[in-house]
Amino acid sequence: MRVLGIDTANLTNTIGLIDGDRMVTDFAWEARDNSLQRIIISTDLVLKRGGLTLAEIDGLAVGIGPGSWTGLRVGVTVAKTLAYAVNKPICGISSLEAIAYQARSASILLCPLVDAGRENVYSAFYRARGKTLAMEGDYYVGNIKGLTERVKEPALFLGKPAHLYRRAITGELGDLASFGSPSDTSSGCVVALLSLPRFAAGAADDAFSLVPLYLGESLAQALLRRKETEARDE
Amino acid sequence: MLVLGIETSCDETAAALVADGTILSNVIASQIDLHARFGGIVPEVASRKHVEAIGYVIQEAFDSAGKTHTEVDAIAVTSKYGLIGSLIVGVSAAKAMAYALKVPLIGIHHIEGHIFANILSNPGTPLPHVCLTVSGGHTMLVHVKELCQYEVMGNTLDDAAGEAFDKISKFLGLGFPGGPAIESLATQGNRAAFNLPRPLGRSRSFDFSFSGLKTSVVNMFKGRDRETLPLPDIAASFQQAVVDVLVSKTLQAALHKGVSAVSITGGVSINSRLREDFSAACGRQGLQVFFPRRDLCTDNAAMVAAAGAARLKYGEMSQLDLNAIPNAPLESIGCAGKHC
Repeated sequence: MRVLGIDTANLTNTIGLIDGDRMVTDFAWEARDNSLQRIIISTDLVLKRGGLTLAEIDGLAVGIGPGSWTGLRVGVTVAKTLAYAVNKPICGISSLEAIAYQARSASILLCPLVDAGRENVYSAFYRARGKTLAMEGDYYVGNIKGLTERVKEPALFLGKPAHLYRRAITGELGDLASFGSPSDTSSGCVVALLSLPRFAAGAADDAFSLVPLYLGESLAQALLRRKETEARDE
Repeated sequence: MLVLGIETSCDETAAALVADGTILSNVIASQIDLHARFGGIVPEVASRKHVEAIGYVIQEAFDSAGKTHTEVDAIAVTSKYGLIGSLIVGVSAAKAMAYALKVPLIGIHHIEGHIFANILSNPGTPLPHVCLTVSGGHTMLVHVKELCQYEVMGNTLDDAAGEAFDKISKFLGLGFPGGPAIESLATQGNRAAFNLPRPLGRSRSFDFSFSGLKTSVVNMFKGRDRETLPLPDIAASFQQAVVDVLVSKTLQAALHKGVSAVSITGGVSINSRLREDFSAACGRQGLQVFFPRRDLCTDNAAMVAAAGAARLKYGEMSQLDLNAIPNAPLESIGCAGKHC
């Protein structure tokens, strides 16, 4: 199955093409504010390198986050519209799992991090189960200290924020913390690979209703919710 | 030429199919009820809703027009002017559609869309004419010299006229959006009850300012028990002050340019008082006045498709690196980045 994978959750945006479990080509760019500008030309570049047209692929996979809200809106909207326009199936993939996948041979707890702004991170715990990764517990969004408090065993921290917060993590966890390579991040190919079992199981997503995994709400929503809860309690 | 228009610059997710000036479908998913709970538009909420709705809206535009993807000749999208997070969703979808269907893409300025809402509704509108486009997000006077040839004559210096309606409505406890609430209450009120300012009414510039008018209303009635407020009179007096300024500036602009016609577009152009006063004043001056169809006054994608078709006819198109630019100036055709 030939799958185009897109992930725009991180500062590094990435698009890749796989053919079965073979990675055909992968492309990444530092997207400060140009996710939207570059996403289609990058898609075209990847397809051309792979010698395929959009109509010739069998499906799309897209990182749905958590991560940059704006980045995710670009990636998810582009991926689902491409899927809709050429009538191909689509799978939404956790952008954290895509980072953890790089370290799937490790036997310890995997802790991928994605920047959440304001010195916060998105995270989740994964453990390798044979060829796949199993998520343990819920997604996390908050500061590093809150995350390290949840770690009680040796853990491998992955993703760019792991290096940004390396000192703080080591300060809290000492020898329990280890770190992946500073270059490890999500990749379009990995997002595509993670979709294969889902497609095989007939568990593709609906291209119309697919939305990012935000793990948070706007300030206005939070304030309104608090006001409504207070009003109900009175 | 069959053009798919996409518009997500603010709080409406819209898609439309327009073929050579004929609207085949005009689908709008309004988020107004969602934002009413907040008393105004919350950009993050709007952006999220656009991502949820965009696919359904595009599909509905094809279904209700009875057209298929392969029949589309071009995609037009609002890429300039609006909320950045909202614009991004429409541009993402439009670029993906254009790339997948291998058809030209054209990015459109939101204000140009509103100018075309009238041209689409009234193809006989003379050129040149002066267009007042007025909504909750903008208040702009444009000299439409020819198709896609513009000179921006005036702009609001602070609040848009529709925004002033929203804020006064909120102050009076009438809810969001303010336009329909104030208009309906005003029908029972006396529009001369209160002497409110006509900001910049006598200035020779074509710019607008509504913030001071809003403050005057607030200062006149703040601290008073809402039950004792003559709400219909306030609504009618306030609405009249806004309409008076819009009418006088637009007529001044038309006279200054020596045009024979004006068009009034944007969400506020639905207002009946505004339509009546414009018709009467233009009649006295011997000017023709045009308003869009009611469903083309508020944000829609048919107007974007129409503007796109016009630009494509002149050979303009966007590249696939098209970006969303929230505060871009309105540019004439062939003038991208240049001063014409």
